[in-house]
Amino acid sequence: MDAESTRVSTPTVARASTWRRWLLRYEVLLLAVLVVEWLLFYHFGTTTNRRGVTVGFGTLDRQFDILRHSCEIGLLALALTPVILTGGIDLSVGSLLGLCAVVFGGLTHVLGLPLPVAAVVTLLVGAAAGGINAGLICQLRLPPLIVTLGTYSLFRGLAEAFTRGSVTYSDFPASFLTLGQGRWAGIPVQAWVFLIVAVGVWVWVHRTFSGRAFRVIGFSPEGARYAGVGVRGQLTAAYVAAGVIAALAALVYSSRLGQAKADAGLGYELFAITAVVLGGTSIFGGRGTVTGTLLGVAAIAVLKNGLATLPVVMRMNAAEELAGLLTGALLLAALAAGKLAERWRRSSAG
Amino acid sequence: MNRWIRELSVLGVLALLLAYLAWRAPAFFQLQPLLSLLAREAPSLVVACGVAMVILVRQIDISVGSQFSVCSVVAGVLAAAGWPLAAVVPVALLAGGSLGLVNGLLVAWLGLPSIVVTLATLVALRQGLNLVRQGEFVNLPERIQWLGLPQAQGQWLLITGAVALLALLAWGLRHLAVGRWVYAVGSDAEAARLAGIRPRVVTLATFVLMGALTGIAAVMNVVQSPQVQPLTGSGLELKAIAAAVVGGVAISGGRGTLWGVLAGLLLLACISPAMVHLRIDAYWEKAIQGLIILAAVMVEGVRQRRNHGR
Amino acid sequence: MPLRFVASLLLVSLGASLGWGAADSKLMVALLPKSKGNAYFISCKAGSERAARDLGVELLFDGPVDSNAAKQNEIVENWITLGVDVIAVAAENREGISTALRKARSQGIQVVTFDADAMPDARSFFVNQATPQGIGEALMDEAARLCGGEGEFAIICATLTAGNQREWQREIERRRQDRYPGMKLVGVRPCDDLKDRAQSEATALMSAHPKLRLIMAICSPAVPGAAEAVKQAGKKGAVRVVGLGLPNENRRYVKEGVTDTVILWKTEDLGYLTVQAAVALARGELKPGASSFKAGSLGEFRVEGDNILLGKPFLFTRENIDQFDF
Repeated sequence: MDAESTRVSTPTVARASTWRRWLLRYEVLLLAVLVVEWLLFYHFGTTTNRRGVTVGFGTLDRQFDILRHSCEIGLLALALTPVILTGGIDLSVGSLLGLCAVVFGGLTHVLGLPLPVAAVVTLLVGAAAGGINAGLICQLRLPPLIVTLGTYSLFRGLAEAFTRGSVTYSDFPASFLTLGQGRWAGIPVQAWVFLIVAVGVWVWVHRTFSGRAFRVIGFSPEGARYAGVGVRGQLTAAYVAAGVIAALAALVYSSRLGQAKADAGLGYELFAITAVVLGGTSIFGGRGTVTGTLLGVAAIAVLKNGLATLPVVMRMNAAEELAGLLTGALLLAALAAGKLAERWRRSSAG
Repeated sequence: MNRWIRELSVLGVLALLLAYLAWRAPAFFQLQPLLSLLAREAPSLVVACGVAMVILVRQIDISVGSQFSVCSVVAGVLAAAGWPLAAVVPVALLAGGSLGLVNGLLVAWLGLPSIVVTLATLVALRQGLNLVRQGEFVNLPERIQWLGLPQAQGQWLLITGAVALLALLAWGLRHLAVGRWVYAVGSDAEAARLAGIRPRVVTLATFVLMGALTGIAAVMNVVQSPQVQPLTGSGLELKAIAAAVVGGVAISGGRGTLWGVLAGLLLLACISPAMVHLRIDAYWEKAIQGLIILAAVMVEGVRQRRNHGR
Repeated sequence: MPLRFVASLLLVSLGASLGWGAADSKLMVALLPKSKGNAYFISCKAGSERAARDLGVELLFDGPVDSNAAKQNEIVENWITLGVDVIAVAAENREGISTALRKARSQGIQVVTFDADAMPDARSFFVNQATPQGIGEALMDEAARLCGGEGEFAIICATLTAGNQREWQREIERRRQDRYPGMKLVGVRPCDDLKDRAQSEATALMSAHPKLRLIMAICSPAVPGAAEAVKQAGKKGAVRVVGLGLPNENRRYVKEGVTDTVILWKTEDLGYLTVQAAVALARGELKPGASSFKAGSLGEFRVEGDNILLGKPFLFTRENIDQFDF
């Protein structure tokens, strides 16, 4: 929506209508949805239990839990934003999370490498895996959907093969567990990690040449080539970065659960893609913002965790199913609303 | 000859695998287990045909697995309630068709991206079914299994039925005007529109057809055992898409044949039993599947590059 | 506009403080299965609901749809913030869940485990129906009995990564080495908890291993799947089927003689006993060091250390399966 509105707006547009345009911006609408969601859950999901303690959605603990539980999916969504901006997709990030978790576990437990070394090697493995995707997509010009469908299976398969499916690495030292379970300055440690990555990706996408190149490639790869954009280099960077961030998510995941196993991150790619698309990034590429992705992640996380705090839902014992249903509905509604708003804007402009 | 090169190359790989099996594990070629394997894959073939046609019009449907589960449970519950099969089949067809209609309307009329629409319906249908059934099996009456026929006849009927359906669709795609519309819309929707085709109608019809095929496939699966598990069909979307792609259907639309899909599905279906026969540990299975998908698309990529080079 | 916003915010927080609140003072017990769609835990639920009715407590029963350690942690943390009184957990991942359970205990919530234990310092009691050892021995003993102590057999499991499945396989193997060296394990295949896939896998196993005498299905959807494959292959009696499952899902195969034995703890009793123990713990009636425990209509149970023992597994066979409906 971002590129759309900037292209349409001209200096002659009156001030009042600029306001309206701003209000109709997708991110603002999504923010409104998020606020409404939050207030509803705050209202209906906060209770005082019989020990006289305020519990539920409205507590700080609860809010921190939401942060902690959505960190890995949030990281994957950030990783996918540049990729989807280029008109590509990466279905393999969830499997790569699993593979990296197992690699990290193996490096620390089997080879006995010190933690920092193991962590760096894990990130490198993530980069290499992203490089495989990038190589197949850029060098052989294969469709990203199919390439990453293949590596989705391949990475998970390698994780299972390495561990023969069964080995679970646990007993990590306390210093490592801090990453996923501790707090720093009163806030969960992984929230800081997430913040740093979010700022990094935001700057990359919105303040550098690469960011513009992603959009141009997404609009028209051919046009990008004529405009002098190094398409291969930019695409490679996007997929390799996705691999590195997925590896980072694997570290956070292993630390939060205190275990590394081949099934880590199973199905996370779907949540991450959902968050990116809900955030207003076009699945065809060329259009989208990091802010939108962050809002998308937040909207889904609040919905999922908020539902679980509602007494009614708890008594139904169906938080996960309801969250799935509502996320699907929210995604469709958001897309349809965006489409209708666009049509309306076009017809009122013309 | 050159036209069928993609299909033939998949068949070649399949032939290699079968030849290796014939050498190392001849026990693979026994009638009953093979018949059983093919009958079990017959519903997947029907679903894969539907998915391939959706890909041909340059869309995708990742909600087939959930659609399949819903149709299976609907068919199962009705059959368990004593409905005759003649009444269950149309209802399953209708159920699948209307699920396809929902996807199709959102994609064709609102112009929403199909991968996102069907991602949403994938999750919503699966979780909705979980909410309603809580994983409980449906027990079917005895007469439903094998459509009341002896087992071997029932299996043959399912296999020939699926292949006949595929042949019919493949013939229609090639020789009927409607079939050519599918390719036209998939290659270039705008050009198709200028040529007097209505891309929206074609897209919508393809989604509805895919849903209906999924409904048929669900019944073909239900009649093979006396119980329906609501989880059935989870992961089917990946299998169907992989079969189409390995079989040479271009994900960018407009290119590929259903015979290729048949070859692709046969190849994928043989991997798992082949590993059992070759005594390879199950841990390697997913990795090998991934490699085969990658190898198939790499062949395609290399070939295209060479053609471009000329 | 901002004013109105602040006003509504105030109103909302006011509503929240009055809100749902401490309306009922019933004891709240929360039960967390490994996966709630699994028939095994569905029948656990029936028993736990009966106990909750008997005792007049409120029962929450929620878990992942698939066996998923990360989701289990999230659910426990939800319950901590809700402020339930007792949490009973069937742990998918021993270490993973223990962090969350310790947190619950530090906030005054009582914790017991059932079905699969967490770390001992993360709970007060473990309602022990099914040590992996017990399961492994029961399955292997029954398999060896049916095969006369020698022959090839194969295992169909849920996934290659599920923790309990791996543990059972280790115990099965240990028992085989100790007692039945004549039995030979020729293959382990996963079925992703899908009955249809279990059927395909069983078909492939039978054709690849012509001397196969028995299929052991160690996840509940795999038992009817394997039985259907044996039936379709016409190998009833030649290839035996044993497994862990529920009577209702396997009744027709047991009666036809395709499946010989379905092994299960009386899962309803497990659910009942768990809730009884949880409530007794919360009310201070069950204390560490107790040597026996009286659980409502089920009578006395032995307590060994901090394990409450449910007793031996139950073998459902052709003769007795009609007495059960779950």
